[in-house]
Amino acid sequence: MPSLETKYFGSMEYREESVYEFPHGLPAFESETRFVLIERPENKPLVFLQSLSRPNLCFLALPIWAIDRDYQLEISPEDLEELSLGPERQPALGSEVLALALISLHDNFSPTANLMAPVVVHLKTRQGLQAIRQDSRYSHEHPIQPASAEGAC
Amino acid sequence: MLVLRRRAGESLLIGDNIEVELLAVSPQGAKIGIRAPKETVVLRKELKITQEQNLRAAQGPADFRGALEKLRG
Repeated sequence: MPSLETKYFGSMEYREESVYEFPHGLPAFESETRFVLIERPENKPLVFLQSLSRPNLCFLALPIWAIDRDYQLEISPEDLEELSLGPERQPALGSEVLALALISLHDNFSPTANLMAPVVVHLKTRQGLQAIRQDSRYSHEHPIQPASAEGAC
Repeated sequence: MLVLRRRAGESLLIGDNIEVELLAVSPQGAKIGIRAPKETVVLRKELKITQEQNLRAAQGPADFRGALEKLRG
């Protein structure tokens, strides 16, 4: 199995199935196009989006349902096309796409999640992008209740 | 904030070099055209916010394990 250097867990082996491609990177990190999704039982449901090429770049993320069970995706037609999804409807969370909210976690600040721009991955192609909403329904600094990171299901 | 009412096809000017034209209005939103010098950066505000938020998220906590505990409550 190939291995990679990670920001938080040292050197780790990974499977190709856990690599997600972001052809355009993520805003502010446009050249980082390959990320490994790291899940650890002790941190569930928190996941780590570790850059393959930059060991010190690792995002903390939560599945969007863990923060807001009623979250409504609203991916723009352009982003749907980019994800090789049809424009006529929003994809099903969980079965068609994985939606992750990136977490800001800093010493002395309350943690927040970016619900305005979820990272969306098409599970079949394993290609993803950060789908910036065009409406103002959700905040880019949504406060996280500690319970949501505690394996709520 | 300066608020102006414009109809489709009407423009406004910002400074000497920037023209903003309202191209069309529909229930889905307004279509806006911008004429500006090449060196002027035009960004959707959400994109700028997302860039800033990603930079912030990428920093992460200095005390990773302590911060995870905090997240657990």
